[in-house]
This record gives sequence, structure tokens and C-alpha cells, in this order.
Amino acid sequence: MLKPERMVKVSVVGPKDHFETVSEILYRLNLIHIEDPVEDEYFKLGEPFEKAGVISKSLVQLRSILSYLKLDPEKFIPRRKYREEEIKAELDRKLEEYRTEIGAKIDKIKELQEKIKALEDELKVIEPLKALGIPPKLLKGYKTIRAFVGFIRADPSPKIQSITSDYEVFLKDYGKEYVVAVFVRVEHAEEVYRVLQELGFREVTVPDIEDYDSRIAEINSEISRLRDEISTLEKEIEDLKAREAELMLAIEEYLSMELEKSELPLKSLVSKYAFVIVGYIPAKSFDEFKSTVESETNGKVTVEKLEDKEFEPPTKLTNPPGVRNFEILTLTYTTPKYHEIDPTAIMAIFFPLFFGAMLGDVGYGAIIAALCLFLKRIFKTEGWQKLLNIGLYSGIVSIFFGFIYGECFGPFVSVEEGKIDIFRHFLWPILHAIGINRFEPAFDRVSPMGIKVLLFVTIVVGIFKILWGFALGFYTVLKEHGFKEAMLEKGSWILGVLGLACIIFGFAYNLGVFHYFFGIGPTEGSGIPPLPLPGVVKGWQQGLNMFYLAALPLILVWFVLFVMAEVPKMGAMGVILAVELLTWFGQIVSYARILAIGLSSVYIAFVMNFIGVGLIDPQGMCIPVLGVIVLIIGHLINLILGVLDPGLQSLRLHYVEFFTKFLEGGGVLYKPFGRIKKFLE
Amino acid sequence: MAEEAIARGLIAVGAGLAVGLAGIGAGLGESGIGAAAVGATAEDRGFFGLGILFTVIPETIVIFGLVIAFILMFAFH
Repeated sequence: MLKPERMVKVSVVGPKDHFETVSEILYRLNLIHIEDPVEDEYFKLGEPFEKAGVISKSLVQLRSILSYLKLDPEKFIPRRKYREEEIKAELDRKLEEYRTEIGAKIDKIKELQEKIKALEDELKVIEPLKALGIPPKLLKGYKTIRAFVGFIRADPSPKIQSITSDYEVFLKDYGKEYVVAVFVRVEHAEEVYRVLQELGFREVTVPDIEDYDSRIAEINSEISRLRDEISTLEKEIEDLKAREAELMLAIEEYLSMELEKSELPLKSLVSKYAFVIVGYIPAKSFDEFKSTVESETNGKVTVEKLEDKEFEPPTKLTNPPGVRNFEILTLTYTTPKYHEIDPTAIMAIFFPLFFGAMLGDVGYGAIIAALCLFLKRIFKTEGWQKLLNIGLYSGIVSIFFGFIYGECFGPFVSVEEGKIDIFRHFLWPILHAIGINRFEPAFDRVSPMGIKVLLFVTIVVGIFKILWGFALGFYTVLKEHGFKEAMLEKGSWILGVLGLACIIFGFAYNLGVFHYFFGIGPTEGSGIPPLPLPGVVKGWQQGLNMFYLAALPLILVWFVLFVMAEVPKMGAMGVILAVELLTWFGQIVSYARILAIGLSSVYIAFVMNFIGVGLIDPQGMCIPVLGVIVLIIGHLINLILGVLDPGLQSLRLHYVEFFTKFLEGGGVLYKPFGRIKKFLE
Repeated sequence: MAEEAIARGLIAVGAGLAVGLAGIGAGLGESGIGAAAVGATAEDRGFFGLGILFTVIPETIVIFGLVIAFILMFAFH
């Protein structure tokens, strides 16, 4: 679970005349992740099998039709599947049918749409001219007069006046601009044109028509006729789509598979007579793989394990079904390398836990869970399903924490007696009626002590997770480079962080947190704390904290190890890098956001309740409608924040504070040659 | 008595400043990252998740501020 699947490197070698058979077998087995080959003197990259050309041509045509029909193979959920033989038998006939039936119809629709566009353009010219009110034949065809017809921003008359007094201007308001017709003598035409251009004049070509109205009616009827024609065609295509969608996608899948098979030579090396394929397969499948390939080719093709120095297998994550949902979160960060630890399983536990601990509200949690369940029925693609599953788990954990904190759309019971008991008029009578006179949360995170305790708990979780991260890092380095490297690179930090942890514990002890949990140490505000070392009560040690004492050697040992690791690499200046210990302190404290984000959401909910319930309350303002609106909008906003913020922060606590300690990433995902069929049986 | 009241008030002001100033700092930090993340997302939709993540990274500073505020409120009252 924490380790990617174990792989072996294999070679498949055989004579070229068995190449196509091998391609079929490998594709069917869907096991070998082929490594990109490197050419050398004798072995060159192969060329696709002959059939590839025809297949890819059909595929391009089919895919263009599919994209027009908005049929996405990834999103479409098939109602029935086809057998490969069925497809093979009908392939050519069906492809031809799609080409002539759908392809031709699509072309026809495009043609008609262009016609409509042209007609609409004409309308755009005619309508303003009609508004101008001058018949078309009077707008052109003069010998000694130049007519300018078009759009303009302002009345040009004053400016034309300065050129000539012999002119005529017709102006009409048309939307943001004016329609204008200017008549001047030919000899003034150039000057007037310049003036018009200054006013943003755009000339239009006057169409050769007799009458505006009849032409407009003609165009409109033509457009509606064309639209009818298009919708008939579209309906025909739509019918065909409903009838043939599965078959079309099945054909697409079949052709894609055939194409992939025939392009296998591009990923293998060939000599004059032989071919070589090098790749990785899961170790446990090796025997099956070898015997299948060899027996089906009568021993002409051999499969061998390679003990190669260049062993860089792809990463195949192996997680049980529930955990698998969280893989998308890990992969968003990076793909773990083959030798590294796959943290998905750890994340699957802690992501919902942190989310729940932050949100911690029965009401919000229930809404999130219900919403995810509902959306799961709409968004069927794999990515969405995984994401919504994560949401579902997180919502459920939030409900659980909601019961612990005693929160349902904000604090459920009085936070401070008499002050924030918002549901007193609604809830308490009901609770009293069923015999409950007292309800208190298991842990009240809004009370001063609750905040202090939760702060401590979150920081302890932080220390724990950061130590765990370093421990995993230690393990990874240990496996690859041995104990000394691991100790210098990761082990020293474990000691350093332990030292920090002691300092933090010492501080918490002084604050009385230990008294709350374990009944030892000073209570809150009892002055100078006594030394927790048993037996020593008096003297200079009084007030000195055992935890601080323990921190000292840890920090010293860390520092020595750190200097041993850094100085050879960085020179004496490397010592300065010891400041980095503070980064880990920062990262430990960073876990306090589990408390902080939660509190902010509680208080937003509380404020909304305070206003909303105050408005509804018969003894308050008594405006129920407004109160309900405030409650709905307020809680909606808080819910959106409550999904976004805990989600992101929980993710961040993993990515930044946890993964960086042991996960370098940059691996390649295992993608075997073959595919899982979706539309074919 | 009056001195104690003043001390309490000053602690509260200090706690407020710790959160508030840290918030301003985090905001300044996030503004640059946010702008860059939006730009990168416009280029490539796949960057959205990582972009949001980068944007919230400086929020740690506010958490520091908040922790300091808590410590002020609880340790020095």
C-alpha cells in the first residue's frame, strides 16, 4: 500500500514477421509499460504497420463527426456494448454511412448557416437605410454629385459648411451612432470625405434593390426558411445520434485500439530481421506474461528478464479501493518515484480527519455529504467520482467532529451561559419536553480552556506528523544510500524537531495544559511553576522546567550532526543554514490552523445565528422573513468557505508540511500497452 | 485596579495587532502569488489546483499571529 507495485524490466525479442502477432498479444495482456527506446548502430526505430494509414484517416473523420455531435468518449456512459466481431463485420459499411449521412448533413448545415449570415449582414445594411427614409435608387448613380452613405458619430453639417455651401445632409439617430447621407458636388468630394472621416464615418454600400420593406420581408422569410431546414437536418442528426451513439463510440474505440497496435513499432527497435521491445511489467505477472507470449508464438518470440543498471520503472500505485480516491490528491502534488513511499494511504486517513476537525459541524457536514452523494449521480467521470468521494468522507468525519464539539450550524448550546444561548426559545422547550435538561458537548472548542487545549493538541499533531515525515524520509534515504547518509540528511532533523517539541511542551506545561490533561504540573495562573523533576523542590532549579532541560542535549546533538552534514558540502558558511530549524518550528505551529480555521467558521456561524435568530425571535425584533433570509444566506456563505478553506488548508498541511520531508517525486505513472475497453466487450 | 485594567486592555490591543498585522503581511504575500496563479491558470486550466495551493501558502503567517495572540491572551493575563 505504501510502496508502489514491484516491477521487473523485460525484453521481448523476435523475428519481424511475428511483430503484428506480438502487438496483438501485448495489447490484449495490457501489462507491459514500454520504455522509449534509444537507437544505435544496428537497431533503429520501427515504422507503423501498413494498415495504420487507413485507420488513422477513418479515425480522423469519425472523430470530427463525434466532436460535432458532442459525443465525448470519456464522459459518455454506454447503455450497451458491442462485440469486436460485430464491429469488424460492419466497420466499412458504417463508416461510409456516417460519412455520407452525418458528414454530408453537417456540411449542409454549415453551408446554410453561412447563407443566413450573409442575409443577416445585408439586413444590417438595409435597416439603417430604411430608417433614413430615402429610397435606394436616390442614394446612388449620380454623375456630378457624390453621395456618401453610412454611419457617423456627429452631425457633419457645420464642418462641410466651411468647405462648400452647396450640399445636402440627411441625418437620423440610430442607436449609438447616426445614419447619414451627404450629397456634395464631385469637385468637393475629397475634402468632404476627409472631414467625414474625422467624425468616424463608415461608408456602406447601397444595395441594388427597389424597395426596403419588400426586401426586408424577403430576407426574413428566407432566413426563417433556412432555419427550418437546419433544424430538420439537426433533428435527423439528433435521431441518428440517439440511435447510433454507442455504436459510433464503439467503432471509435475499435479504431483507436487498432491504431495503437499498429503504432507499436514506433516504440520498439528493429533491425533488418528482428524487433526488440523493452519495458517494465509487474513482477508478479512476469511468469504469466512470459508463458503467454512464448506459447502463442510457438517459441519464436522470447521474453527475458533484464538485470539492467538503468532500472527506472514506472510507478504503479497500489491502494485499496477506498484509498484510491485520494490518489488524485497525491498526483496533483507529484507522482512518487518507484523507490519512494506513496503517501496516499496516510493522506486518506489524515485529510478527512483534518477537514473534519476544522469544520466540525453536524449541519455543514451533513449538507456536504448529501451534496456529494447527489453530485455523484450527475458527474460520472472518474475524476469527479474520486473528488466527490473525498468530499463525502470529509463530510462524514465533519459530522462526527460536530457531535464532539456540539455544533450544528454554529454552536449548539450556550457558549457562555446566558450570552450565546441562541436557540433558547426553539430548542430548549423541545429538549425539555423529551426529558433532556442538560446538553453539553464532549469538548467545547469555543471556551477559553478549549482553545488552549485544542491549540496544544494540534501542535502535538504537528510535531507527530513532522517527525513521521522525517522518519519516512529517513527510511527512503536509508534504502537508497545507507545509514550514514540517512542519519545526516534526515535523522539529525528528527533530533532537532524532538528538541523543539520539548521546548514547546515545556511552554505548554508552564501554561497549565498538562494539568488539564494529566493532572500534573501547575494550574492556570498559579505563578511560577514548580520543577517537575520529583524530589527537587528548592534551590536555583526551582522554576526550571524539565522539558527545557531535555531539549538541550537533543539540540546539541542535532547541531553536531548538522554541522557534520553541511560543512563538507557548503564550507564553514553552511553553519548558518542551521537557522532552518526555525522553519520546522514554523511548520509545527502551522498545524494550529486546524484550530484557527475551525474557530473562524464557528464564529461566522454564531454571528449569523445571533442576527438571524434575533430577528425571528418573538421577544426580539420579530421579523421572521428577514431573519430566515439572513440565516440562509449567512450559512450558505459560511458553508462555501467551510468547504474551500478546510479543504485547501488540510491539503496544504500535507503538501507543504508533510510531503516535503520524504517525497521528491517526478516519477512516471505506469501506463501499460493496451487499454481497458469501455464500449467494446 | 486601574493599572490591571490598562494592562488587560494593552494585552488585548497587542493580540489584535498580532493578528491584524500578520494578516496584512499575509495579504501582501498572497497578492503577488494570487496574480501569478491566475495568470498561469489562464494559460493552463490544469494549474488551478496547484495555483490555489500556492496562493494559501503565506497564510501560515496569520496562524503565527493568531498563536501569538492566544499566548498573549492566556499567558499574560
